[in-house]
Amino acid sequence: MFLRNCWYVAASDHEVGRNPFRRVILGEPIVLFRTEDGAPVAFEDRCAHRHLPLSMGKLIGDTLQCHYHGLRYDKTGACVRIPGQDMIPPSARVRTYPAVQRYHWVWIWMGDPALADPDKITDYHWLDDPNWGAKPQYLHVRANWQLIVDNLLDLTHLAFVHETTIGNSALVEHASVKVQRSQDNVVVTRWIIDQPAPPTFVKVGGFTGNVDRWQIIDFVPPAFLRLDVGATPTGTGAPEGRRVAGISMRNLNAITPETESTSHYFWGQAHDFDIHNRETTDKITEQIRTAFLEDVAVFEAQQVNLDLIPNPPQTDINADTGVIQARRILDRLYQDEQAAEAAPRVAAE
Amino acid sequence: MPTWHRLASASDVREGEAFPVELNGTPIALYRVNGEVHAIDDVCTHEFAILSQGFVEDGTIECPLHAAQFDIPTGRCLSGPAMQDVRAYPVRLEGDDIFVCAPDV
Repeated sequence: MFLRNCWYVAASDHEVGRNPFRRVILGEPIVLFRTEDGAPVAFEDRCAHRHLPLSMGKLIGDTLQCHYHGLRYDKTGACVRIPGQDMIPPSARVRTYPAVQRYHWVWIWMGDPALADPDKITDYHWLDDPNWGAKPQYLHVRANWQLIVDNLLDLTHLAFVHETTIGNSALVEHASVKVQRSQDNVVVTRWIIDQPAPPTFVKVGGFTGNVDRWQIIDFVPPAFLRLDVGATPTGTGAPEGRRVAGISMRNLNAITPETESTSHYFWGQAHDFDIHNRETTDKITEQIRTAFLEDVAVFEAQQVNLDLIPNPPQTDINADTGVIQARRILDRLYQDEQAAEAAPRVAAE
Repeated sequence: MPTWHRLASASDVREGEAFPVELNGTPIALYRVNGEVHAIDDVCTHEFAILSQGFVEDGTIECPLHAAQFDIPTGRCLSGPAMQDVRAYPVRLEGDDIFVCAPDV
């Protein structure tokens, strides 16, 4: 199940340049490159002639030349040259996708181009905001994208999967949790008051005593999860909105389906302390990366089982509240997209 | 003999929110609907989710997991997947204190 009429992160900005770059997104082969003035361009990665990936070709000025028979396409996807003939058949063009660079990522619109509005790109300014330190990351995951969304909406798993980094049992046993929902948004707020800090927080925050810790998860469909996380020494007033003498971070996640069973996982950990110290950014990123690799092992093992037993019955527990509300939004949006796609055909019949 | 138990202050229970408490060891939740305080069982009759972690809307509580809805004043099940009502308890206000009546065991 894929939603098409939305922006997805297609690539990190440094992946897209003057060498054509291939990435499969929602099951479609995409080639990304930049024109000479630096603007990102996205095509279907398939020559209109004999289907070779255009990413095997090369850029000549602002045209992309196929590696097989040398057909050249301009940035609108129109074929502008066929070696050995003057006439260019009208069908000689490749599909283009709206593409925009923002927050160190190149974003792509996979649906109806007429609906693509860059103002609707989800805010990830922390990744390029001078008031925050961050280093955007990428992981390839052999699992369905919704398993990753589920994971980020239920952080009780930190106590079990990540006990050497960002988790401890206080998260599950001593937390107050609230789930708020609206039309296209779920927010899960978790407070852990007067409990020991987890290992990563001790390392990067230098806490010596108990802390008040928060995790505020903001979900926006299809797969944008922005987590406001941090801790302050207990009793200093963080629950009332005074965040002093502690650390505040944004765990920023954007998941792009590659296929039904594989995903592109773009993420970054922004921090509001020691922001210009590359070592701090590296240390934090490494801690979170260690934790995320533990998650990836979980997703991939889940996917192996789901491939063997598709759509098995499952038990829901109270911690799934946010997960279930998010899945309900995704299901509704999917039904709406399917209905909208079917509607013009019905009207025409 | 039914017995009355003081379980909350009036200010604890606000419109649009659940206030989970225990009545003789049984999880129940208090709600305020159009000014009136009500008490119903806090465990969904379907898969035992904690209802007070769900969503209060228009005098109903929606289960956080499978969206069964219960009428807060009566405990009546309004929509599935739950099939059974939840129990509603008599509530009495004395000054700032909320009392709930525990039934005979």
